[in-house]
Amino acid sequence: MKLWVYIVRRVLLLIPVLIGVMTITFVLISAIPTEQRLASQFGVSKFGAGPYVLCSKFGFTSPNGSRFCPNPWYWNGVRELGLNQPLPVQWARYMYNLFTGQWGYTSAHSLLYLIAIPGGIPVLTVLSWYLPYTLELAALSLVMIWLMSFPIGNRAAVKRNRPFDQSARLLSFSGFALPTYLLGGGTLLLAVLATGGFTHICGGTATPWDLWYGLPPDPSGYACPPYNGVQPSWIGIYGQTSPTHFPTIDALIHGQPLIALDTIRRLLLPAFTVAFGSAAGILRFVRNSMLEVLSLDYIKHARALGVSESQVIRRHAGRNAFNVTLTVLGLTFAFFIAGFPVTEDIFGLRGIGLLFTYSVRPPFDFGVIFGTTIVFTIIVVVANIIVDILYAYLDPRVRLG
Amino acid sequence: MDGTTSSPPDSEAPKTDTARGGPRPFNARVDQFKRTWHLLRQNTLAMVGLGLLIFFVIVALGSFAYPGPSDSMTLYCGTYLSTATNCVHVCTYAAPELSPGAGCYLVSSLEKSLVPPTVSVSPLSIGPLPMGSLAIQPANGLFYNIATGLIKGAPWSLGISAAIVGSGALIGLLLGSVSGYQGGSTDEVIMRLTDIFLSIPGLLLVLVVLAVLQTTIGSHVSFLGRVGVLIAAFVVTWWPFYTRIVRGQALVVREQKFVEAARAGGARAGRILRKHILPNVTYPVMVQFSLDVGTVPLLLGVIVFLGFPIWPTTPFPEWGTLSAISVMDLETFVVDCAYPGISCIFPWWQILFPGLTVFLFAISVNFLADGLRDALDPRLRR
Repeated sequence: MKLWVYIVRRVLLLIPVLIGVMTITFVLISAIPTEQRLASQFGVSKFGAGPYVLCSKFGFTSPNGSRFCPNPWYWNGVRELGLNQPLPVQWARYMYNLFTGQWGYTSAHSLLYLIAIPGGIPVLTVLSWYLPYTLELAALSLVMIWLMSFPIGNRAAVKRNRPFDQSARLLSFSGFALPTYLLGGGTLLLAVLATGGFTHICGGTATPWDLWYGLPPDPSGYACPPYNGVQPSWIGIYGQTSPTHFPTIDALIHGQPLIALDTIRRLLLPAFTVAFGSAAGILRFVRNSMLEVLSLDYIKHARALGVSESQVIRRHAGRNAFNVTLTVLGLTFAFFIAGFPVTEDIFGLRGIGLLFTYSVRPPFDFGVIFGTTIVFTIIVVVANIIVDILYAYLDPRVRLG
Repeated sequence: MDGTTSSPPDSEAPKTDTARGGPRPFNARVDQFKRTWHLLRQNTLAMVGLGLLIFFVIVALGSFAYPGPSDSMTLYCGTYLSTATNCVHVCTYAAPELSPGAGCYLVSSLEKSLVPPTVSVSPLSIGPLPMGSLAIQPANGLFYNIATGLIKGAPWSLGISAAIVGSGALIGLLLGSVSGYQGGSTDEVIMRLTDIFLSIPGLLLVLVVLAVLQTTIGSHVSFLGRVGVLIAAFVVTWWPFYTRIVRGQALVVREQKFVEAARAGGARAGRILRKHILPNVTYPVMVQFSLDVGTVPLLLGVIVFLGFPIWPTTPFPEWGTLSAISVMDLETFVVDCAYPGISCIFPWWQILFPGLTVFLFAISVNFLADGLRDALDPRLRR
């Protein structure tokens, strides 16, 4: 099989999974009360949420002499979503809405904490503002996973059952057993203590806390040296002046490389927090696969030919172990991505994890809850596909099989 | 991960007629258990894990004899502000409906009753720490006794974890063995279903299901019903992992000679599944079970930390919850410390003890699972 055939086939397999995931969200969304469902789909109503309203309140004329009149927002919504129709029709409409980008609206409360925007913004728009932060964080943490798991795993395999291997083993166990909020909170606190504790710096305008908490666009973070006086100049309301919403790229586009660097510095700790748990797991796999590779004949052959030990480990064994790492990374991606809501909450990063965090606090914002869930799932599925394709590229046997 | 571990030991001659598809001799299973135990005993880390686990179980059993309500935490007046006057002040601040100087009070889930202030000891005082001094102040301004919370929380944490992972494993065993043994379209449907569930990040799925269930039925069910809802939401995310593991194992087992012999002897699918497939896929499930039990308190902690209202009343003694609210409280500490003049003492004890409990529980089952895997997988046993 040619590589591109494999890629096309793999991408086509994405469609049933996506339809399945959206069907699950459909089942769940069908279970919530109609009022809340309408609010998440059409935004907040000026008539109130219930099916009937007081006629006198809005100057309606009663159809049957009762004090109550049908709420037009409610019944129009019911008609538009087809809630009075059989479930398969509702399902088809739901799928159509999702695929045409009608993901509903935010309710007022969930975004209130973050930026002063009202409810009733399309979910997809809000997601497009918040997703780039998460992607940037994810990219950086992937680099960190790589930097942590691969060298340590390799070394643990080489120093098998020696103190280094044992401590690597302990490290990998604690990666599983340490809650993300403790790791993130601890990292943040250590960073704050290391940069001066809770004292006031820069003439009483800020504390070291402000150096580590929050991401631009948050002007409060720029009061301190070494970025003294450097303010992101492009921060507008609703982020309209951020062309890409990737903080680093935005800063570069606006010609402020210092802020771009500062953004990356601020992302280091959260990236480490997210990466630690996954890296700990992958570490074990790297070690075990490296052990298996090291016992193979071609390694003995290379050694017999007089290749130096470091060359054997790096060139000959390392490459094979890399493939295993890649597969495991693909398998643990869903686990890895689940660390984002907590981490973004702890470090005040405006990514979709934080969006999700706010939307699951009561009163629930179902539009955002389902929107973020679908986006996270798409990230996982696409990441798996990329890993599979990379794997097929690196190891031709996969394509043939 | 291959089937060699679970095949009947060659040295033991089967006493009953396996060709007829009869049950495996009980001796063989006892022998395998003995062998596993022998190997496990040589693994120091696994023994440490087992010891910790036994300790936790003993605490959980003993907690029923410990005084106090079992489904909420005892409020305790004793904080990082050390003197008794401060204590009264703080309690008044925490509960404005109480008149100043009214002292501290005890809250159970049923009643709020005033009790005289208990002895207030600074946690930072020199000398051994009295149990009662390990107090935390969650965001609502109430004070909980950490030691009591951890003891009372043991049966909840262990019970909820075991219930969640156990139900997940049970569903996985059923679906996975059927899927692996039957193959064909049954296998295809079940596997596509697991694919779909596995591609949704677990934490998000739990939260979404919980949010929907709480909105739909949350206010109509009792407290134990809510715990049941919580367990159900977790099981929804957990069964696919087990289904996959069991299916992989069942695929290996069904190719083995004794299954073939049973089939040739005319055993029906149900009987083969019950007598041959299921007993031989339980060991990998056991390993995964012990791995997963430890992650449930971690996940519960994360959910509480995110601000999702799991419990009907906030002061619920569950290890993850306790650990999460104690970290959430750090925000107060950070805010206090930002203002000069307000004394702020870092409340290390409230982070350390619940966090350590959750950590030790998770790591103990990890050690045990690792030891089990080594003992059961001959390839790793070098």
